[in-house]
Parts: sequence; C-alpha cells; structure tokens
Amino acid sequence: MNKHVKNLAPETTDLSRRSFLVGTAATGLVLGYAGSGIDQALAAPAPANFEPSVWYSIAPDGLVTVTCGKADMGQHVASTMAQIVAEELGASWKDMRVQLASNDPKFNDPVLGAQITGGSWSTMMNFDAMSRAGAAGRIALTEAAATAMGVPASELVVRASTISHPKSKKSMSFADVVKSGKATKTFTADDLKAIKLKTADQYTMIGVSVPQLDIPLKVNGTAKYGIDVMLPGMVYGALVTPPVRYGATVKSVDDSAAKKVPGFIKAVTLDDKTTTTTGWVVAVANTYANAKKAAEALKISYDGGPNAKLSSESLFAEAKRLQGLSDSGEFFVKDGDPNAAFGSAAKVLEADYTTNINIHAPMEPMNATAEFKGDILHIYSGNQFATRSGAIAAGAAGIDPKFVVMHQMWLGGGFGRRLDADMMVPAVQAAKATGKPVKVIYTRENDMTMDFSRPLTFQKIKAGVDGDGKIVALSHDVVSAWPTQRWGIPDFLTPSVDKKGPLDSFTVNGSDFFYTVPNHYVRAIKNEMAHNATPSGQLRSVAPGWTFWAVESMIDEIAHATGKDPAQLRISLLDGKGKNDGGAQRLRNTLLAAMGLAGYGTKQLPKGEGMGVACVSSQERATASWTACVAHVAVAPSGEVTVKKLTVATDVGTQVNPDGIRAQVEGAALWGMSLALFEKATLKDGGIEQTNFDTYTPLRMSQLPEVAVNVIANGEKATGVGEPAVTVVAPAIGNAVFNAVGARVRGLPITAEAVKAAMKA
Amino acid sequence: MPNLNINGRNMSVEAANDTPLLWVIREQLQMTGTKFGCGAGLCGACTVHLNGEAVRSCQTSVSDAVGKKITTIEGLSAKGDHPLQKAWVAEQVPQCGYCQSGQIMQAAALLSKNTNPTKEEVVAHMDGNLCRCMTYSRIQKAIMRAASDMRTASATGSERRAT
Repeated sequence: MNKHVKNLAPETTDLSRRSFLVGTAATGLVLGYAGSGIDQALAAPAPANFEPSVWYSIAPDGLVTVTCGKADMGQHVASTMAQIVAEELGASWKDMRVQLASNDPKFNDPVLGAQITGGSWSTMMNFDAMSRAGAAGRIALTEAAATAMGVPASELVVRASTISHPKSKKSMSFADVVKSGKATKTFTADDLKAIKLKTADQYTMIGVSVPQLDIPLKVNGTAKYGIDVMLPGMVYGALVTPPVRYGATVKSVDDSAAKKVPGFIKAVTLDDKTTTTTGWVVAVANTYANAKKAAEALKISYDGGPNAKLSSESLFAEAKRLQGLSDSGEFFVKDGDPNAAFGSAAKVLEADYTTNINIHAPMEPMNATAEFKGDILHIYSGNQFATRSGAIAAGAAGIDPKFVVMHQMWLGGGFGRRLDADMMVPAVQAAKATGKPVKVIYTRENDMTMDFSRPLTFQKIKAGVDGDGKIVALSHDVVSAWPTQRWGIPDFLTPSVDKKGPLDSFTVNGSDFFYTVPNHYVRAIKNEMAHNATPSGQLRSVAPGWTFWAVESMIDEIAHATGKDPAQLRISLLDGKGKNDGGAQRLRNTLLAAMGLAGYGTKQLPKGEGMGVACVSSQERATASWTACVAHVAVAPSGEVTVKKLTVATDVGTQVNPDGIRAQVEGAALWGMSLALFEKATLKDGGIEQTNFDTYTPLRMSQLPEVAVNVIANGEKATGVGEPAVTVVAPAIGNAVFNAVGARVRGLPITAEAVKAAMKA
Repeated sequence: MPNLNINGRNMSVEAANDTPLLWVIREQLQMTGTKFGCGAGLCGACTVHLNGEAVRSCQTSVSDAVGKKITTIEGLSAKGDHPLQKAWVAEQVPQCGYCQSGQIMQAAALLSKNTNPTKEEVVAHMDGNLCRCMTYSRIQKAIMRAASDMRTASATGSERRAT
C-alpha cells in the first residue's frame, strides 16, 4: 500500500480502539470486532441485521462461515481469508465456508479503513487480523471445552475442528462446544495483540494448496454474479452511451419508435451530479432483450462537448508538450542532481516510451441492480470499492450514503474496472424513475467505449553513464491522466517531494526502483487533456505496468550501449546500498532464480530468437513482491513476435495457497503479454474506436506460450500476487526482441510493423 | 408462444421469435449459468448445446431453437459431475469463473465426438472462447484429463459389458 493511504472512512476499524468479541448466540458462535464498548456488545451479543460485525461465525453444526470484506474477482481471496482463519482456529478445511460482506463499515479492511480491493494488498493487509481472529476463536473454544471436560485448557490439543485431551482421551468437536453455549470470552485490543500466533514451522494450512472454496460453484453455473441477480418485479435497463467518451450532453431524446417496442417502460436521461457519467440514457423495459430493442430505437441528439475532436494523437502531442516544459508536474523522487551529473557523464542516453489506452474488458460486462425499499437503497453489483461506490450510488439517488446497502456478488472479472461506480448511476436513476427494481446491463460496446481505461502514457528517460559504465544519473518524466486523483479522496494522493502539492503516485509507482543510482529524479506530470477526455482507472498493476516498461527497457538500452550483459548490469545495480537495503537483495535473488530456470545465457539460440530479462518491485515500493521474468521470443522477418516461453520468478515471502498463487502469477504474466502484444485502444473524435472483441483482442488460447512460474517463499511476510507479474513481461519481451533481431521498440503494444521498422533502422 | 426443450424438459416461453435464446434462458427460465459476454459471437461465454452442437446462444434466436434439444450448463450432468466438471475442479481451473460455463459446454461438444483429441484439436476447438483471467493452460489440462477419464470409463464399461 502507498504509505500515505490511510483511514478513508470517517469511522475506521482501527483495531486499537476495538474489542474482539466472542460470544454465543442461539444461532452459533459469533466472532467479530464490537463496534462500541464491550459492555454494550455483551448486552446485545446477537448482531443486528445491518451491522452483523463479524469476520466469521461457527454454526451449531460446526460449519465455519468466514465473511470476506474483499471483492473476489477470481483471485480466490475469500478462500484465502478462510484459509488464514482456519490455520489459527484449528478448523478442518471441509468445515470452512465463505460469504461476501455487505458495505457495513465493520467489514472495512483493518489497515485501509475502507472496503477497497486492489493493489495486491488483501493478503498482506489481512493476514494478521485474520490470524488473530482465528486464534481468538480457538482460545475461546478451548477454554469452554476445558471447563466442560474438567481438564486444564493447557492440556488440550486443537486439530481438524476437534478439541481433544490426550491424557483422558476425551474430546469435543467445535460443534459440541458451540451447541453447549459455553464459549464466552472477550478480547481487548491488547489481548488480541498479545496472542502468540503460530510460527511458520507450526503451520498445517498456510502453504497448503487446499481446494478453493468458490470453484465448485463456478463449474456448475450456480455462482451468482451481479448480472445474475433476480428480484421480484424487476425490470431491465439498456444503455445508450454517447459517441464521445466524456463530456457530451443529451440535447434531445425522441422515444416515439421505442414506444412501439413491446414491454417498453420509459427512457431515462441521467442527471448525474456525481459527474461519473455524461450524456447517458437508459431505456427501461420488461426484459433485457426489449430494453435493448428500445435503446436501439431511441433517437438521441448530443452536444459532443469539449473533447469531441480529441484523438490518441492529440493526447500524445499534449503529453510531449507538457514533458518539454521545465516547470511541469511534481517530483515523486528527487535524489541528488541528475542535471548536474549529466554534464560530467561520459555518455548520455535519452529515449521516449509510450503506452496506448487499454481496456479492462472483464468477461462479465458492467451491471448493477438497484431497488428502493422503504428508506433503503439496495444495490446488487460485484464491486471492488464498496465504500466509494455506495457513496456514488447515494449521490445518484440524492440520499445519504448511510441509507445504501451494497450487496456484494462474485465478480466476473475485476482487474480494477470494478473499482469504479458508473454502473450504479443508471441503475439507481432508472429505479427511481420507474419505481421498480432495475437491472442495468452494459452491452459489450457500452463496456468497452465507456471503460475507465488504463491511460495513454508518455515517458522520457534520460540516463548518464560514467567512464566505467556506471549509471550516475537518471531522470524520468511520466505524463498521464491521473486515475486516482479522479476519485476525489485526498488520502489516496501523495505529497510531492518538492512540496508543490499532492501527486497521484498511482501514475509513477515503480519508478522509485531499488537500483542504486546516485542522482535520480522522477516527475509526475498530469495530462489534463487526457484526464478529461479519457477518465482513466486502475488497470491490473496500475502504474508499474508502464513505469517498468520504460525503466526496464532503458536499463537494457544502457547495458547494450556500454557493452554489458543486461542481467549482469541489473545485478550490479541491485547492490542493496542505503535505502535499497533488503529489497534490492531480494529482487537480485529473484532475478537470479528466473535466469537459472530459463537457462539464461547457457544456450545458443537459433537466428531470430532471443531472451530478454526484466525485474520489478511491483506493486509499490512499500508493498513489493519481487518479480523477475525471462522472455524467450522468436521474431519473424515480418516483425511478428512469437513468445515461446515466459519464465517468471516471484518472491512472495509467505505463500498461503501455492496453487492459487501459481494461477494468479500465470494469469498476470499472460495479461502482461496480452498488453505487450495484442491489446490497443485508440481515441478518435473523442470516442474509443474499439467496441468489441473483434477489434480489441486479448490473448486467446492459440497464442498461449509455455509459462514457467517459480514462487519463492522465504518466510518473510506474505505479499501480493495478483498484479506484479503483469508488469515484468512487456519489458522482458521488448528486451528479448532486441536480443533476437536488434530491433528496439519503445511503444506498447509491440506490433509487427513497429518491430519491422526498428529492424531496418 | 414458442415451446422449447431445455435440459430434457419442455417449456413454453413468452418471447418474440427473434429474441436471442440467451436472454430467454437467463431471464424467463432463470438459468443464469449461461453468461452474456459480447452479444456478437466473439467470446463464447453464452455457449449452449443445440442437438449436441455447441452454439452461441446470443446469436441463436428462439425460433431457431424450437424443436431442438437445448442443453445448458445446468443440464450437462445430473449432479455437476460430468467428467469435464470434475476435471475443472481437479485442475482448479476457474478464477473469476464467468467464462467457464461456456468453456465447459464448448469442450463437452468436442469430447462427445472425440475422447482422444490432440492438443492442436483442443486449441482449434476452444480458440473462440475467451478467458480474461487467462486460465487457458488449466483449461487444456482439464480437457485432457476429462478425455482420459472418459476413455478409461468407456474401456471399463465395455469390459463390463463384455463379461
């Protein structure tokens, strides 16, 4: 997590001010953090409907249900939370169940103080809290069992949901203890802190590839995603979105033809005070097919607004202009004085790196279902940021956010797209206008053209090398839209080192690398034009997806310019001096592991083939998983790149579920490859040109390379795995292409045309 | 009111003839295992079987499905225990899981005709099904595992019949 991210919600779940409550209710043993004083909590042990205040409960039948406050979008985080709880609780895996939390602040992340899922933060930030929750439950159950058996608690052994007393051969199951109603114990924050957690050598669940709890539901069609919600009396909304991504307004809507569509109810022009959407109309009908027909029949005229003439070209041109200004942007890193050092450097290299707009395109198109019931607005939608999305829904409804209940669903892919809340607005306003529950489903075309995309980026890196080939200076400008600033939450921004004001570090993370470079500047420059025209979002891996593209390409360029092996140059830069101590060594070791696994430098490759390396400290300096990749590519004379193999090594400290980690790392690496080679969106006349999977083309099975994943678990604290491997692949492929055919491509995606042009150059 | 035969049951639905089968299955019949992904036959999330052939239900009108046997993920097996479904669990294939009903239905059409496909045949048959989580290698492994299980079961079955 960014060190400046903290306590977003006014009411935080700061552990130090809370007590952990264990008490028995008729329905079972409930464990959670009491929202107020212990006395009050004890007086009302059964939680109220809207404030269940629980991390998990144990039913009289012994089933343990963990409530997951994180969005589960395929990373199996609910299962991971259950696994961490089960380790300390001593529960058998077959007894574990999961459910998804509502937006009750009591389910807020214990570190972030909000319900937000991203940054590959979930496991690292919840490991301790879930462990202590599990341990507290074990202690409470054990003490109750000791009393029931008439033996000292210290002589009891807890294993597989059973508490046994080896001396007397007595035993009680968790179910027995819960049924007895005797488990009552409260834990203060200090008590919780004082619990001695297991050490790694005592683990029986952490580090085991137990089957993910959500998978059975996902092979028989029963997992419920947001799009699957059915409410009594519900009707459907289909969107008409304008040809301009942002800034258009509706001048008029003619619904005369739509009225002829059977089942048509009405067309609602959104009045979005949250400014999340502009110029959207939703056609409501009794079925989605009819809503879509009606939407197609609406005749809408627009004022295209201020961005209607903009294109990717104009955004790049503006980025270059801003980068060229000496007073642009704010400093994210300011070590030494690169500009002075360039003057005395033996060699200075300079290069521009670009990335195009990228679309999240999760397989489940955006959707939300809204229902007003009495004073309460119920929202059903798979969402990664319930805290903010609930507030957007409230804003769209014109009510206080405390009256919004967000019902979390399984997410049919997130990748950062569902951090945004645009889908709440049409659902809420259509429900309000019709007085009925409304499910709004985006068409794929709506979903692609209205994505909160990965921003188009322009970066310039200038590097100075001394007579011995040592990098003495590096300056790095990053120009992009600022996705996180758009959220309007000051705590997500970072003070600039030159005190010019807060910057969006989610546009520059990664550029504060672990290489030792004595003079190092990084400027974060906001491309206001792009920011307005293409409201950007957080796409799996966020800034490190572009900053490492530039940094890791430039390191290779320096190696080649100074006659060094690119991998060896990295190893020498990762000397662990000063502030880089610790991280640099872990990254170096990870790089060495990847090199060894790939056989880097050990074999003569055929003509037209090459291996390239890259290593990254994604996601953020403070939350890095140390990740390295060796890409092996073959480049055809046409410039077409075929990836033969990706070898990825990642140091995650502690692995909770090894098989789950491998799945995430492999998926992330393939995302990296897809972004590197296949995915490109463009802006024209203010609109995104790609509308479906025929023109926006993520990797398919026939393009699958061999992927070798090595997970390093060295006993350090658990880090994240969902994103880091995305960021390492594009530079590794770019560097491999150079090693194969001498073509240096500095723009993503790497197209055959660009490779061919660079081959000739 | 068109009559549909779906998962072995006859059901009458209320929908215009040109309504995509997908929405009738999901909304009227409330079988939500079949997913909407692209609406253009480009992703495979909505794959069902018509008389045993894998088709994109977003591109199939209700009238085209009349008189044919429709099978969805809910009807692929009695207890979610088709060899592919078991293999999908064994290989821990799904991540977000949204595309997986379509992947399984697409694969089932292949294995119903060929329980010994080559890797190339699997890729050619599955290439129209997108998985944004990129679980492709596990999908391949699961198909091969299910195919092998089906061959074993069929060999065991014929032995039993022989004795």
